[in-house]
Amino acid sequence: MELDDLKSDWASLSKQVATTHYLTPQIINKMIQKKYYSKVNKIKYPEWAGIIVCILSAVYIGFHFPLLDTVFLQTVGITGILLLIAMSVISLVSVSKLNILPDVNKPHVEVLRIFASQKLRFQKIYHYNVVLSYLLLVVIVLLLPKILEGKDISHNKYFWILSFPCGYIFLLFVSAWVKKSYRKTLQQAEEVLREVGT
Amino acid sequence: MQDSKKASFINAIQENEGLIHKVASFYTDSKEDKDDLVQEIIYALWKSFDSFKQYAKLSTWMYRVAMNVAIFHFKKGKKQVPAVPINPELLNVQDTGDSDTEEKLQLLRYHIQDLNLFDKGILMLYLEDKSHEEIAQIVGISKSNVGTKISRIREKLKRQVSKQK
Repeated sequence: MELDDLKSDWASLSKQVATTHYLTPQIINKMIQKKYYSKVNKIKYPEWAGIIVCILSAVYIGFHFPLLDTVFLQTVGITGILLLIAMSVISLVSVSKLNILPDVNKPHVEVLRIFASQKLRFQKIYHYNVVLSYLLLVVIVLLLPKILEGKDISHNKYFWILSFPCGYIFLLFVSAWVKKSYRKTLQQAEEVLREVGT
Repeated sequence: MQDSKKASFINAIQENEGLIHKVASFYTDSKEDKDDLVQEIIYALWKSFDSFKQYAKLSTWMYRVAMNVAIFHFKKGKKQVPAVPINPELLNVQDTGDSDTEEKLQLLRYHIQDLNLFDKGILMLYLEDKSHEEIAQIVGISKSNVGTKISRIREKLKRQVSKQK
């Protein structure tokens, strides 16, 4: 299809689309009000769920901290709490920044540049979180037997055989999925940045 | 004061309703997404209505805002709040979303799917028969650059169509 064919197709489509008239003053008013109230809902639910799980896990480790009776385990415990807090903060900050709409009055090319840069930054941050998840897995595996006192699973050979490999296989899949799903987006973002001359 | 501002805003939206629907149709591929984008565009236009400079052409400003909102809507991927439901039957107006129109739109989206957002924006304005000068104003690049970009898009489309065959 040539550009000129597209143009004639679009012209006929435009005629039909342009005849659409359903934005009454009442509907426009509703739209303005509805969006106003939705401004508090800027962060998506999955991100909130992830952040809450991280915070609850940090609290859980903190609550069981007295059970960690060696300096090594205490260090691992503190590392775990710090990792969970860091991951929550990273998610919160990155997603909040991603959802900030720049000045829409700016030229399109400028907004595209901001948009592409934000996507690249978000992708980098997402990778940091995946790396932190690997560290967190080690921390959890080390802490779990002690924290689950009374149900000592450290002597259970299946725990050691399964926990590390399963955790790492899961994280490998997550990493592969992240890499695959963002590759195209990244290429497009980079292309846009190149074309707008950044 | 607020009432007169709102009245002139509503008037501007109603006069340029087609423009909003066209941008939304270009950037989305489902009715649900389109309704949501229309709502986001109208909200953004309302928020920046004060900053709209009267000496600028109204449609130029509206295209700019609508296209800027569309790319952020695209980024978010999924809508965050349900759009105000628009039911043309209840309003007793013609629903233009007939299957033939939708089919043609899908075909158009198929052909342009591999273009990046920058090229898509320029292409949409070109298809809208905007002059190079107006495209330059909306997008924020020089007039001569617009011509170069359109030639490149033409080549890209040719390559993509031959790849898709």
